[in-house]
Amino acid sequence: MRTGKLIRLARGNLVRELGALAVSAGGVALGTGCLVFFLALGTGLQGVVNEVFPVSTREVEVVVPQVALGSLLGEQKIDDATVAKLRAVRGVAAAYPKMQLRIPAVSRYNGLFFGREVRMGLEVVATGLMPELVGPDARMPFEDPGEGQPIPVVGNRRLLELYNKVFAPQRNLPRLTDSMLIGFQIPLELGRSFVTSRTLPNPQETSMQLVGFSERATLAGVSMPLAAIQRINRKYGADADTYSSVLVRAQSADDVTDVAAGVRKLGLEIDDAERRYAVQIGAAVELVTLALSLLAALITGLAAVNTMQAFYASVRERTREIGILRAVGATRGDVAAVVLAEAAATGLAGGVVGVLLARIAAALLDRLARTGLPDFPFKPPTFFSFHAEHVALGVGVALLAALLGALIPARAAARLDPAKALTES
Amino acid sequence: MSAIDLRGITKRYPPREPGLPPLELLRGVDLMVGRGEFVAVEGQSGSGKSTLLHLLGGLDRDFGGAARVLGCDVRAVTDAELAALRHTQIGFVFQSFNLLPALTALENVLLPDFFGDGVPDAERRAREALDRVGLSDKAGARPAALSGGERQRVAIARALLARPPLLLADEPTGNLDASTGEGVIDLFRQLHREGMTLLIVTHEARVSHAATRILVLREGVLRADGAEAMETE
Repeated sequence: MRTGKLIRLARGNLVRELGALAVSAGGVALGTGCLVFFLALGTGLQGVVNEVFPVSTREVEVVVPQVALGSLLGEQKIDDATVAKLRAVRGVAAAYPKMQLRIPAVSRYNGLFFGREVRMGLEVVATGLMPELVGPDARMPFEDPGEGQPIPVVGNRRLLELYNKVFAPQRNLPRLTDSMLIGFQIPLELGRSFVTSRTLPNPQETSMQLVGFSERATLAGVSMPLAAIQRINRKYGADADTYSSVLVRAQSADDVTDVAAGVRKLGLEIDDAERRYAVQIGAAVELVTLALSLLAALITGLAAVNTMQAFYASVRERTREIGILRAVGATRGDVAAVVLAEAAATGLAGGVVGVLLARIAAALLDRLARTGLPDFPFKPPTFFSFHAEHVALGVGVALLAALLGALIPARAAARLDPAKALTES
Repeated sequence: MSAIDLRGITKRYPPREPGLPPLELLRGVDLMVGRGEFVAVEGQSGSGKSTLLHLLGGLDRDFGGAARVLGCDVRAVTDAELAALRHTQIGFVFQSFNLLPALTALENVLLPDFFGDGVPDAERRAREALDRVGLSDKAGARPAALSGGERQRVAIARALLARPPLLLADEPTGNLDASTGEGVIDLFRQLHREGMTLLIVTHEARVSHAATRILVLREGVLRADGAEAMETE
């Protein structure tokens, strides 16, 4: 039996039994709609987690162990030799050392700040990064300009988000964007602290110039060129030779395990606190998504049972018609195919409607979130991420549920005794 | 080769109530119908006429004896082979028309084309068949919009679509008024003249009179019209 003819035959029955099959399709739509909705929600929330905790699958942060014999004896440190050893570890593509500003520094701002009169002071925490690590995130040169020049800095975008959503509204400060801030200069006093006892002799007034935003930048403070940090540390007699940490990039995600082993062999350890948070929150999101998806699967299962009942009733009502089909040359397989084609159409319709329902529900919920929820940090414009795979899965599950539901009725229809079927009143 | 060759056909139904004997509807039916014959089988209601027709069409294979239809042993072949036989070699006409309500008259006529390898040039043939039964203007109508006579003529057109050599009809005029029934009988006569083998089950004398041979099914045995039991020819 050819597909086109099968569809024509099934179409007639579908139109006639529209009411009963609409109920079945509705059940399937509800189940698959929930499934697609929850999957899209899970993916959307996972996206938010990834934004808050951006974790690269092939990068690790290497630090000196907090409690290590070598460290207690003053032997365990990350210097250029250690960095060279790290670069030589099997599977390592690159190693980028980082160094903290080891002297106090403050920023005092007194004047107009984007239209507002501002008077504030902050202790400055800075980390030195290699310019290659920041790369194109810096819109202006990110290199040590030398003594007496504004020091280029990059900020972390998450910090800007926290400023805009928490700090600025509380202090009635203007909300800022990347483009507003690039090129902006902030005064910097090196060697000075708001804690008097920490202030060094000969503090120096200079400035920082924001040259970009990068996920590589430290979350707690600003990031400067590594060479500038080394120069300042050296100038004030602080340690300018040992690094705080090294960002190690593996050649591929599969190499990370080998790289971690190599790092441990060197007596160092991997600081994966942020990764752990991301993994834990991601796992929680996945778990909730899975539970909700199982609920949706249960609804779809019930829809399949409902479909089975509807098709049983349909087959019972059409017993005589099935006898006619057999009389004009339909095989048992043809009869089963007609019932299954009707089920497939029901499932397909249910799946498409389900996906549409999911999208509508998501749009409504997003709208509600936009207007009803406060503007908290990292609040996404949408909590949902609909992928083509979700749509395919939703429609596929709907199709499968309807076909599974109709399988037994189709078999019963195929097994009908044609002679008895023709005498059915 | 005969069109129909039945030997010692028996058909039993299980008892309707426990303790009662099984219902033996056919008790050794022998029948041979040559190609091109027009045979009418008469019998009272419940005598087993329809059962006999279902056996001939391979719709019921649960019987005793040997049955060959158009050279095919209906009990020996597979379900698919039997479906192919019904599809291309046998046309069925039923008392209650048995049209699919969801399909138009033309689609109902085209129904055999939906199965197997289809019917060559089906659409043209279907329109010709409708034209032949005088319903070319009703091709798009659904069964509910047709009269009883029109429905039966659509059913006959459907039976003729594959141009089968054998037509089996079960009380084809049973639900028709006299003049409509006469039209159907004329059509059967015409098909017979064209060489088709017809076996019509009926309890109406006007239908039987159109046949070239009349048989009576009585007490499970097939007899010549009002005479002795049929012998195998």
